[in-house]
Amino acid sequence: MRALLRRLLVAAATLVLVSALVFVVVDALADRAALDLGRGASPEAIAARRALLGLDRPYLIRLLEHVGSAMSFQTGESGHEPVMARLGRALGPTLAYALPGFVLASLAALAGGFTAARRRGWLDRGLLGLATVLMSTSSVIVVVLGQHLLAHRLRLFPVLGWPLGGDPRGALGFVLLPALLWALIQLGPDLRHYRALFIRELAAPHVLGLRARGLPEPRIARHLLRGALGPVLARVSARLPQLVLGSVVVEHLFNIPGVGALLLAALRDADLALVQGVAICLAAATIGGQALCDLLIVAVDPRRRAATDEPRRHCAPEGR
Amino acid sequence: MSASLGRAGRLALAGLLAFAVLALGAALGLYAQDYAGAVGPELLSPRPGAWLGTDALGRDLLARAIQGARVSLAVGGGAALGIVAIGGVLGALAGLRGGWTDRLLAGFTDAVAAIPPLVILLGAALLLAPGLGTAILAIALTQWSGVFRGVRAEALRLRGSDVDRAAVAMGAGVWHRLRWHLLRRLRPVLATALVLSFVHAVKVEALLAYFGASAQTLPSWGRLLAESGSELARGIWWPTAAASLPLALLVLCAQVLADRLGEGEPGG
Repeated sequence: MRALLRRLLVAAATLVLVSALVFVVVDALADRAALDLGRGASPEAIAARRALLGLDRPYLIRLLEHVGSAMSFQTGESGHEPVMARLGRALGPTLAYALPGFVLASLAALAGGFTAARRRGWLDRGLLGLATVLMSTSSVIVVVLGQHLLAHRLRLFPVLGWPLGGDPRGALGFVLLPALLWALIQLGPDLRHYRALFIRELAAPHVLGLRARGLPEPRIARHLLRGALGPVLARVSARLPQLVLGSVVVEHLFNIPGVGALLLAALRDADLALVQGVAICLAAATIGGQALCDLLIVAVDPRRRAATDEPRRHCAPEGR
Repeated sequence: MSASLGRAGRLALAGLLAFAVLALGAALGLYAQDYAGAVGPELLSPRPGAWLGTDALGRDLLARAIQGARVSLAVGGGAALGIVAIGGVLGALAGLRGGWTDRLLAGFTDAVAAIPPLVILLGAALLLAPGLGTAILAIALTQWSGVFRGVRAEALRLRGSDVDRAAVAMGAGVWHRLRWHLLRRLRPVLATALVLSFVHAVKVEALLAYFGASAQTLPSWGRLLAESGSELARGIWWPTAAASLPLALLVLCAQVLADRLGEGEPGG
């Protein structure tokens, strides 16, 4: 119970810090009054606009106000409509293709990594090579070529589009290819990660002990999977933000009205309220998801109950 | 060093060097200078004289692809140095000082890492003037949290060691411990992190360029990909190939090199 409270407190503190950081960055990068009035505005008009928007008040007060409103998710209006409403509408299409893609990629990577780690040999080398090539291919290339080959050439899927309030049968066709490509983008790094994880688990002394006692392989596999549950959950939690944001490239090329497309449009129109709203909501989802996963890890893995340190994370940034 | 890389690692290193030579020659003005103007009819297929064909405006795609290497290498190299410098120094300070310094820096890093990177990257590039410098700065300032965590973990391990306690007992300060003890231990880790950050930065640059948020005057592979999208649907494949093949090859070389460098480390 104390661990739970502590974890929630840390998550809340991180979120406060995030909203302050977002405010500082956005405020330093762009002047909202100047953006509202366009390029030809006179300095007097900009000053008047600043006063109207309340931008001439002390910095610290504006910062605190911003953090306060971010904490209650009242992130202002965009296009005569609350930011949260627009975000909520965009979340549906993103989840529609990102969630199946995420599940597909995770299952394929787990199965592939497990097989590669246990069999080694040519199968392992083949899977590792595949993962490295997939990882090295920029997501832009994967999406552009995938759309061309599978939709334009082979005509397996509709090229692009999104049924706005249409029948669900047509929607399935539009979702399939984006989900598949999104899974392909994630598969490379995940496959390598899970392979390395299972190789580490296989080298653990208790596995040797189980073998020495002559346990059948399927039962050893069950022990292995149970032991790997914690690190797998940690990996899933690291993947969460991409689940919510989706892929900007996929949404751009397939005309999906999701969160990534919304973000791109907001940046193009210099809609600062919407940009801040997207940033803070995604950060909240990330932080909340990670807190949840950390607690889950403690729940499923008794070894972690004694240890209070952070779950192991990665040394270098990874591609997306 | 090169002896332990293996054949694949040496090949990857040679590939990276070849890209560097290609980009350097283009930057010095030795070849591929007519990338901006038309050299022939539009959408010429690959043939002698225009080895990769021409694009929709009749520009030579080979020259544009070579110039694109300049952008990718500059952004990848610059951002990787920035990432390793920021993450390394902050991580070392957090690990060696411990206590409140560590707690504050780790909390700050968690907050930075929680902001979706694309928001900041695209935001900085589109709201500020998009360009090479902006791309390098934006990537370096937002993507260092992974290096921070790795270096901090290593510094924490050093802090518990006898060597370090002896150094502290003799009155060594943080900077001495960082330079003399930590840097030596970290050299292989930092080399791997540098190459991995390069991979990451090149991929992010391609993404930024695809949305028109990277270099403005020079052609970049991501921008070539964005320009070639409509032609690909009509069966005109060479503009897409001219952009995607070098990009994939450069990233693959760097990734293989990083794998070989990281192989010696435990858990690398």
